[in-house]
Amino acid sequence: MISQFFVLSQRGDNIVFRDYRGDVQKGSAEIFFRKVKFWKEDGKEEAPPVFNLDGVNYFHVKVVGLLFVATARINLSPSLALELLQRIARVIKDYLGVLSEESLRKNFVLVYELLDEVIDFGYIQTTSTEVLKSYIFNEPIVVDAACMPPIGPAALFMQGNKRMPGTAVTKSVVANEPGGRKREEIFVDIIEKISVTFSSSGYVLTSEIDGTIQMKSYLTGNPEIRLALNDDLYIGRSGISNFGYSGSSGTGPVILDDCNFHESVHMDSFDVDRTLSLVPPDGEFPVMNYRITQEFKPPFSINTLIEEAGTLKAEVILKIRAEFPSSITANTILVEMPLPACTTRVNFDLERGIVGQNADFKESHKKLEWSVKKIVGGSEHTLRAKLNFSQEFHGNITKEAGPVSMTFTIPMYNPSRLQVKYLQIAKKTKTSNPYRWVRYVTQANSYVARI
Amino acid sequence: MSGHDSKYFSTTKKGEIPELKEELNSQYKDKRKDAVKKVIAAMTVGKDVSSLFTDVVNCMQTENLELKKLVYLYLINYAKSQPDLAILAVNTFVKDSQDPNPLIRALAVRTMGCIRVDKITEYLCDPLQRCLKDDDPYVRKTAAICVAKLYDINAELVEDRGFLDALKDLISDNNPMVVANAVAALAEIQENSSRPIFEITSHTLSKLLTALNECTEWGQVFILDALSKYKAADAREAENIVERVTPRLQHANCAVVLSAVKMILLQMELITSTDVVRNLCKKMAPPLVTLLSAEPEIQYVALRNINLIVQKRPTILAHEIKVLLEFKEYATEVDVDFVRKAVRAIGRCAIKLERAAERCISVLLELIKIKVNYVVQEAIIVIKDIFRRYPNTYESIIATLCENLDTLDEPEAKASMIWIIGEYAERIDNADELLESFLETFPEEPPQVQLQLLTATVKLFLKKPTEGPQQMIQVVLNNATVETDNPDLRDRAYIYWRLLSTDPEAAKDVVLAEKPVISDDSNQLDPSLLDELLANIATLSSVYHKPPDAFVTRVKTVQKTEEEEYPDGEGGYSEQPGASSPATTSTVQSSAGRPPAAAPAPVPDLLDLMGMDGNNSAIVSTEQPASPAGPPLPVLLPAPTGQGLQISAQLIRRDGQIFYSMLFENNSQIPLDGFMIQFNKNTFGLAAGGPLQVPQLQPGTSASTLLPMVLFQNVSPGPPSTLLQVAVKNSQQPVWYFNDKIPLLAFFSEDGRMERTTFLETWKSLPDSNEVSKDFPAVVLNSVEATLDRLAASNMFFIAKRKHSNQDVLYLSAKIPRGIPFLIELTAAIGVAGLKCAIKTPSPEMAPLFFEAIEALLKS
Repeated sequence: MISQFFVLSQRGDNIVFRDYRGDVQKGSAEIFFRKVKFWKEDGKEEAPPVFNLDGVNYFHVKVVGLLFVATARINLSPSLALELLQRIARVIKDYLGVLSEESLRKNFVLVYELLDEVIDFGYIQTTSTEVLKSYIFNEPIVVDAACMPPIGPAALFMQGNKRMPGTAVTKSVVANEPGGRKREEIFVDIIEKISVTFSSSGYVLTSEIDGTIQMKSYLTGNPEIRLALNDDLYIGRSGISNFGYSGSSGTGPVILDDCNFHESVHMDSFDVDRTLSLVPPDGEFPVMNYRITQEFKPPFSINTLIEEAGTLKAEVILKIRAEFPSSITANTILVEMPLPACTTRVNFDLERGIVGQNADFKESHKKLEWSVKKIVGGSEHTLRAKLNFSQEFHGNITKEAGPVSMTFTIPMYNPSRLQVKYLQIAKKTKTSNPYRWVRYVTQANSYVARI
Repeated sequence: MSGHDSKYFSTTKKGEIPELKEELNSQYKDKRKDAVKKVIAAMTVGKDVSSLFTDVVNCMQTENLELKKLVYLYLINYAKSQPDLAILAVNTFVKDSQDPNPLIRALAVRTMGCIRVDKITEYLCDPLQRCLKDDDPYVRKTAAICVAKLYDINAELVEDRGFLDALKDLISDNNPMVVANAVAALAEIQENSSRPIFEITSHTLSKLLTALNECTEWGQVFILDALSKYKAADAREAENIVERVTPRLQHANCAVVLSAVKMILLQMELITSTDVVRNLCKKMAPPLVTLLSAEPEIQYVALRNINLIVQKRPTILAHEIKVLLEFKEYATEVDVDFVRKAVRAIGRCAIKLERAAERCISVLLELIKIKVNYVVQEAIIVIKDIFRRYPNTYESIIATLCENLDTLDEPEAKASMIWIIGEYAERIDNADELLESFLETFPEEPPQVQLQLLTATVKLFLKKPTEGPQQMIQVVLNNATVETDNPDLRDRAYIYWRLLSTDPEAAKDVVLAEKPVISDDSNQLDPSLLDELLANIATLSSVYHKPPDAFVTRVKTVQKTEEEEYPDGEGGYSEQPGASSPATTSTVQSSAGRPPAAAPAPVPDLLDLMGMDGNNSAIVSTEQPASPAGPPLPVLLPAPTGQGLQISAQLIRRDGQIFYSMLFENNSQIPLDGFMIQFNKNTFGLAAGGPLQVPQLQPGTSASTLLPMVLFQNVSPGPPSTLLQVAVKNSQQPVWYFNDKIPLLAFFSEDGRMERTTFLETWKSLPDSNEVSKDFPAVVLNSVEATLDRLAASNMFFIAKRKHSNQDVLYLSAKIPRGIPFLIELTAAIGVAGLKCAIKTPSPEMAPLFFEAIEALLKS
């Protein structure tokens, strides 16, 4: 069981501190912070999320710059403690709308009230925002969300897409909207993080999708919800041969290697019609996490050409092609490529007519950085970079440069083709038809092309 | 609510406390609420607002839940420092525990349990009793945890009032949350008790497995962890349990997944059907990999656990091997060290995973074809190991390897290639030519290569005793014996030479003997440690890779007062912990985690132990007993029982090592030989650390020997016992079984001395339940000095002494293997019969053994 829980600011200030068992000394927060800050003298290695110091076990996670910490004396389950810390952060965020040092300080009474219901004598009682609502009496004081970094996967949707209601991620589940009425709405987000490695000849070497279906409900009366997924969805790779493996053609079944579900999900009809039914608890939670190694079509192809021009110069030509439909736009694209150590100067030749495009040579890291604000599906972009070397370069430049890596976010697109076919709210209130938002987003986790 | 809470942090000019006092007594409810919030704000930033105690408690009598909760929060914090005032709140607590609103009832018991004041505890019992049987599950689940709180304050009270039974009844509750909390509370109480309190029977098992399906995620973790202590009766039951637990692997909460994995791994030990085990491994693999998609902190925990799991079940993730192509790609990088590591990694995959071996070999062959010098050399080194791991499987690739002979210039690669040629000389047509090409440079080669060349040439000669090899062997032996200064090489050459010249057939047996298959044991943990860690999957132990007792220290929280902290010392010794004083600390930090359990000491060569060189027999005749003169060894197998063979033996400690000192007397009519010994499972896992060295015993002769013993080999479960069952056999007689007693004294290690401060802290940190005492009315101490000397000879070390009326009180420390300390207190009047011995130790179950040992020591 947990002995203490506390939240520290980046500077090590104690924002929240709750002792549950009195078997760990009071100064533990300071001891912890000093240990974590000076974990290794050279500062190269970070403290592990779990460590033992003088008989006290410390568990910590970082959430929006805050350190959420638990201590225990016994041989506790570390995954329990770490998961708990994440959940506490989520519960507090559900209540306060925004998780920040300021919101915690303004709502300390509510936070303590929550902490007493979440943990009793070190034992976790519940981390469900829904359940907690019956026991919590303080009301949140909402802070201005304008400059607060949002947390959670849904934060992705904050990035410059006007179609999404931005309040969704910073709205408290209990506080009323100005005007006294709550807006009836539900968000279902399909978030996929993709990892792809291309060989130097452009073939996909490895590819994986880490996906999650995230839900956040603001529906009153807790109606039951039915979520229908693709008819041709299969779980487990073992059955692949039976289904005529389709490869990257973009059709055929969606095969999940593995998946897990939130405890509120009923799978009764899943085997029949791929429908999940659940009564969504309040607050943000993952309905389903899944993992896919089935081949998929990578959203970008990367083509790199290096031409040597004598021994002191070379030219790098980077070509990025967006392989998704033109109705979709990727944003915040960043392409990076390490260059040979003897590179001193790089001249860029940017394509004209593209807004928000920038290329830079980071001399200290010997790295080329090319950022593009938006790329429309189907388009192709090229960067030419002329490299100058400080000494004559012999040998193979490709061995000392690369690989090319990319980060990007693509709203309303998911390479797995997993889909929410429909979202049915069982008991609609007579007066209003709740807003239903189903959103897709893809993000690069590790997107690397060898050269 | 108006404004926001941070205004409560602001200070006023008038003086905060009087102003708050005024507001707390305001007639307006809202004002009082605001005032309590301000008080709590002050409290959380560390200001002393305890002087407002009475005023705050007065606000408690309200129907407003928000306000009530605030007051309760304040009370928990200050009741300790204001125990007398806290009594004021008792009436309200008791009243609240009968409130019609279940939330208030639960709040009252929850808070009372957190206030660690004796007087409150007394009043807690009745409300707790009621709440354990409350109609509302929220109240019952809170009451269940409250029993654990009360047990921590006053264990006796819990047992006297029958709360344990009430808790056990809650296991059958119809609300899964109540069940989960009852299980958690019982598990904690069991952990702190030496008596069996919470034993899972097959009946509770089925109840808990049912509750598992309905519980919240956290309750599932409590239940799974409690169930992991259950030992299934047979494979069938284990399979049933696993079947019920497997669906938990699909849970989104990683704590549930890991606890389920732990449970399944434990039950798998019992499952005999390989199909079922294979199937389970298949089911566990994807969820384990999925854990790696979670937050980085969870990934870290998952990887540390997976590391353990694959050591025990290497095949579990065999399907998930996707790194080979990565390694291959890395092997073509420019960074030479990086490339070498990549190639080595491919080799390790091949050796660890049989299923991957073939793919690894083909990747290695592709790499060799690139003909980059250092890649080829590194590949040949790992291929040599692969040959030794999978004999007679991949030799077809030797031809490809031989093509690269002339590019080798590094000693290790050269030596590896030469080993391959020698080992497979009969399959390589031109083996002699290949070796010959190396021989030209023999004198210049580094020793590593020379040694391999020598051995390979000998192998070649033994396999193909034709003229060519014969000439080669002449050259090599000549070179190695005459022209070299390297003693290793010279000696090896001489051995081969002698072997070959005296008995070529024997040489064949020796040199071409079948080699044991190698395995990759890098990063491999000691098997006994691994098993212990696997039993602790999903706990900190599995992340630290240390057994729990290496880092868990218990601190008992007991209300303390200043007077108790330093018990009055008499006679100038103020540091002794009075045996009768209660454990007195709540905040003293216990000594840093005990050192990790020591691995059994390596057994030194038997001959070295005896101080003899290899020419002498380890056995000394009766005229020169190996053991120093002392009391004769107790006879364990009398001659009439042993058909004339009499065995006397005793466990002794010498030079920090435990030996079994034995005397064999042959009173039969025939010579006896071929003696062997075996020990049955016992509490300390004692086993022979080497073979029993007894020569042939002629009729009428005897021999004594010291058999080195090792610990923790074959530990018998169950309560500690001194019983040591021994079996001895020889070639002429049936097997003899006899029983011996393990004297605990033999385990007291030389490093058992404690600093006074450590002693004091350890004493305080151990709960009272770990203290055991016994009276020995017949023991007489005649002198303190003589007693201490005698104790010191058995590695019980003197810490302090004090006088208590006419009695002397002695404090000593001792330590047994795995770093378990014994804190000893002896009380006796000198010259008067009667000794009281009290000990405190993390392993109180060892107390009877200890008392037996000390009685034997002090009586004699």
